[in-house]
Amino acid sequence: MKLAIDETRCKGCNLCTKVCPYKIFREGKKPNRRGIVVPELDRPERCANCRLQKLYGRRLCGICELTCPDQAIHWVEEEPYEPHKVAIEY
Amino acid sequence: MTFEDWFRKDRLPHIFCAGCGNGTIINCTLAAVDQMDWKKEETVFVSGIGCSSRAPGYIMTDSLHTTHGRALAFATGVKMANRKLNVVVFTGDGDLAAIGGNHFIHACRRNIDMTVVCMNNQIYGMTGGQGSPTTPRGYLSTTTPYGSAEPAFDLCDLAIAAGANYVARWTSYHVKELEKAVLAGLQTPGLSFIEAMTQCPTNFGRRNKFRQVADQVEFLKKHSLLKVKRDRLLLENKEVPADMFVVGELVRRSRPAMGVSP
Repeated sequence: MKLAIDETRCKGCNLCTKVCPYKIFREGKKPNRRGIVVPELDRPERCANCRLQKLYGRRLCGICELTCPDQAIHWVEEEPYEPHKVAIEY
Repeated sequence: MTFEDWFRKDRLPHIFCAGCGNGTIINCTLAAVDQMDWKKEETVFVSGIGCSSRAPGYIMTDSLHTTHGRALAFATGVKMANRKLNVVVFTGDGDLAAIGGNHFIHACRRNIDMTVVCMNNQIYGMTGGQGSPTTPRGYLSTTTPYGSAEPAFDLCDLAIAAGANYVARWTSYHVKELEKAVLAGLQTPGLSFIEAMTQCPTNFGRRNKFRQVADQVEFLKKHSLLKVKRDRLLLENKEVPADMFVVGELVRRSRPAMGVSP
């Protein structure tokens, strides 16, 4: 699983940057072609739900998806054999 | 199935302003509805007029978008006509407290089996930011340019006094708690009332020194007082801060309910 922000829905309110316990969402810098500054992902492989949802078989955390007022945040399945990054938090 | 499947994806993105909390509350409500294993054909969402009341238009079920303040009256009709339907009502504070106040009292008194989710943004957001019955004292709006002089309406107290079976209040910051509260409300027979305090960056925050969306969410987070904490303060004869509002499950009881499907 990996995090994805739907740019067609996001309105750039930056609420996700506030609620994520891992601070994965960062305020974006460039406006997209609709003039909206979409947040960017900072090392999304740290997301608990991305890493452990398969193992636990249920939705973990999921605060960002629930909080996003524009339903722009969701998880997508990876391609088969897609290389994984591993982030270690100290 | 997740709550995403309940949305009408062709209608998204919705028309709410950037940072409006109504989308969050729709997410939480649908996540709770999703856990109930209800069929889409047997679920009806009813709403009145206002920003919040546009919510059923984005949901893939039968829905009623009714006249101003009369959402509960229409929902009563739906429930009485067919008890098998599961009725969820979305309303705003202007819809429920101001023009539909009497319907609200009597729906609580009758204790009809439905769930009422009130998105309280403390202002009339859609019509341009007029002061509503729930605007707190001292806050600015277009009709109260020197600060609201009246005490605000406490909708949860009203629902408790009128006899609702389940009453809870959360904010748009407390998403998981709100989801659990809505779920408990859906499971409770009788009228369950969930008040969700939400931010209105366009019309409330802009006039009240919340320049960013996150500022008002932070304000809601800081000024919410848990019910257990309030009770502890009362027990110790300490003063409850006047500018805070109580959040949590305020009442759960089993008065005889009307319209429960056999």
